[in-house]
Amino acid sequence: MRPVAVIAASAVSARGLGWRGLGKAVREGGTAATACSALGGILAAQVPALPSAQDVEPRQLKLMSRGARLSCVAARSLFRESPSLPREETGFFLGVGASGGAVEELEAMLAASFPQEQFDLSRFGNAGLGACNPLFAFQLMNNYTLCHAAIREGLRGPNAALFSRGAGTVLALAEARHAVASGECDVALGGGADSALHPVTWAELRRGGEEGMVPGEGAALLAMAAADHGQSLGFLQRCEVHPGRQGLAGALESTRRSLLAMGPECVVLAAAPKWRDAARELAASVCPGAVFESAALFGEALAASASLAAVAALDLLQDGEVHRAAVLVTGPDGDVGLVGLASEVAS
Amino acid sequence: MSRAVITGCGVVSAFGVGARVFWDALSEGRAAVGPIRHFDASGFPTRVAGEVPVLRTDGAWLREYLGGRLPEPVLQEWEASGALRDRKIGFGWVAALEAWHQAGCGEDASDTWLSMALGLEQAFLEDFGPLLRKEGARTSIDWATEQGASLPQVRFRSRIDLCADGLVRMLGLTGPVVPHVSACAAGTLSVAHAASLIERGAATRVLCGASDSMVNPLGLGGMSRLGAPSPRAEPDACRPFDRRRDGLAMGEGAAMFVVESEERALARGARPLARILGWGSTQDAYKTTAPLPDGAMARRAMQQALRRAGLAARDIGYVNAHGTGTPLNDPAEARAIREVLQDVPVSSIKGAVGHLMAASGAIEAAACLLPFQSDCLPGTAHHRERDPECDIDVIGERPREARVDAVLSNSFGFGGQNATVILGRGA
Repeated sequence: MRPVAVIAASAVSARGLGWRGLGKAVREGGTAATACSALGGILAAQVPALPSAQDVEPRQLKLMSRGARLSCVAARSLFRESPSLPREETGFFLGVGASGGAVEELEAMLAASFPQEQFDLSRFGNAGLGACNPLFAFQLMNNYTLCHAAIREGLRGPNAALFSRGAGTVLALAEARHAVASGECDVALGGGADSALHPVTWAELRRGGEEGMVPGEGAALLAMAAADHGQSLGFLQRCEVHPGRQGLAGALESTRRSLLAMGPECVVLAAAPKWRDAARELAASVCPGAVFESAALFGEALAASASLAAVAALDLLQDGEVHRAAVLVTGPDGDVGLVGLASEVAS
Repeated sequence: MSRAVITGCGVVSAFGVGARVFWDALSEGRAAVGPIRHFDASGFPTRVAGEVPVLRTDGAWLREYLGGRLPEPVLQEWEASGALRDRKIGFGWVAALEAWHQAGCGEDASDTWLSMALGLEQAFLEDFGPLLRKEGARTSIDWATEQGASLPQVRFRSRIDLCADGLVRMLGLTGPVVPHVSACAAGTLSVAHAASLIERGAATRVLCGASDSMVNPLGLGGMSRLGAPSPRAEPDACRPFDRRRDGLAMGEGAAMFVVESEERALARGARPLARILGWGSTQDAYKTTAPLPDGAMARRAMQQALRRAGLAARDIGYVNAHGTGTPLNDPAEARAIREVLQDVPVSSIKGAVGHLMAASGAIEAAACLLPFQSDCLPGTAHHRERDPECDIDVIGERPREARVDAVLSNSFGFGGQNATVILGRGA
């Protein structure tokens, strides 16, 4: 297996488009939450207006969830900044969130399907379905978060969409890294895209007892190639998930061992509120005084959290003050994801 | 490098519960697409499907098949939460437990990974009733009242990985969970991923496969709005590679496998049902709504799989095609198969059990085990008239007897994701 370098990156977050400066912003404890009208005015880390050069064409919007749109913007940004990146055989592995159809489509469908207070299956079957955009199903298919971006950028290599509520995106990064390390493809993109600002998703998170959570959204991608590729923003040393669905304690202990083996100089922490104290304690035990939490900046961005934290960590490597940075992610499911980045190839 | 083998298989399909039930039906050339029974689909454009023959996937049904594996209070908790309304949850549990038992897995197998393809959340549209507000001609959802409304814990929609969460708990799995959501390619990708994890030494055992059901109001309705299902509500709605084909038939079910290294399986006395020899995946990167007409990326996925398996085209004795029975898919796939594998026998089981969406690749991998067990290649239900646009050796409605040592299965997802896996006869 050959070592893997990160050769390009992109991000779209509550701070707007771009990944450079995100590390510094996380280190300084920056916040970006604003009142979100779609969620009744609560604070949310929502992506501001997107630049038209990267945004999708208006006629495509009715085919897309919010996560898919953000994925497209991140991919377009990546290739605009690195136009020499190959496309035809480039791999693409993405952590994606839940389905996210437009609320107005849903309301139109329901209006026609509830003549009184009871759902009428027969009316739904004709008038209800007829009330919505015929391509509504494409908004619901969460693999399209990957596919729209692949189609738009012409990415035809090995690929997979993995459902993620946080750490699952680390598995997507791991698959991209493996595709490059094993020689399956020369370049692979890994990352995640999601929005927790959809009312159904937000309702689920609230029911999960996530007190103090600020919903977020975003997308971030890392382009990877073999370490001898010639250009490098950093090297991807680790991508691993420590399962916590049967209990967080075991996951944290095995994560601790990995962190100690890696020896990071800082940890970027993206932890769901209910696991935050335990994850912070773990990170601080390995890197006292150098734990930077990304939730204030990015919110709980679910499938995007790990990749946004990863590009922030990558940014921290760029000024030379930090040479090894870890990303620690725990989503609402309790799995713990660990990404290790370094400015040098591990000996 | 460890070679990955399948040592256990479980199936829930339109033929019923059990891998043997499924294989026997395929061996006999039967088909099970028919009128939808578990909800009233009479007002829908599509009214037939490959429906699993159970009206409610509730606790009573699950008790019959789980045999106490899930403690009663836990099962009651799941039922009370409303989650079991999503049919794919129970299908996945039942299929996984069959595979687990067949492979002879016990408590010592808890470090197993779960690499599982899962379909979309099932929408529970009826849950929105208490939240709807009508003002004049406009109806809106009043989200502010959601927390105070009398609704089940799992409401509006299920969560994609609920089935996986239940399996983790039921089997005590402590390995990572990998939920594949690459639409109709996801089932095949989950099997390929399991083999990759074994070969690279990341896992010693993987429970993989898929479960899905879009045979529900929004699933059926959404697909109908896309124009994917056949407009004919007849049992022969899906006619793969047939000149008269006019769309797919929806299906539901699950197929799960235990995958482990060949050395480990043989050392513990397990009987490999098949080897996983190769796989490949590509993206059409063509259109949101249609496959690449020349099948070029499907061809590349098959070539990748052959290369990884170290096989030549002549080594493949049978292809289980994606074969949706749609006007666009079948000619593109036939072109790709013809160019890569020439005159190999091909069939699609989608006419028999319907299109299981995220689970299609998994149940078709289960169908690919049949030739290794009984030298029988599954037939293509409702394929009667050859289409010159599909110039391949399509096995007709009756299964064909043949001894083959390697088989190839294709899966192509909405959005252009292509996946191929090659299985070989077990030791």
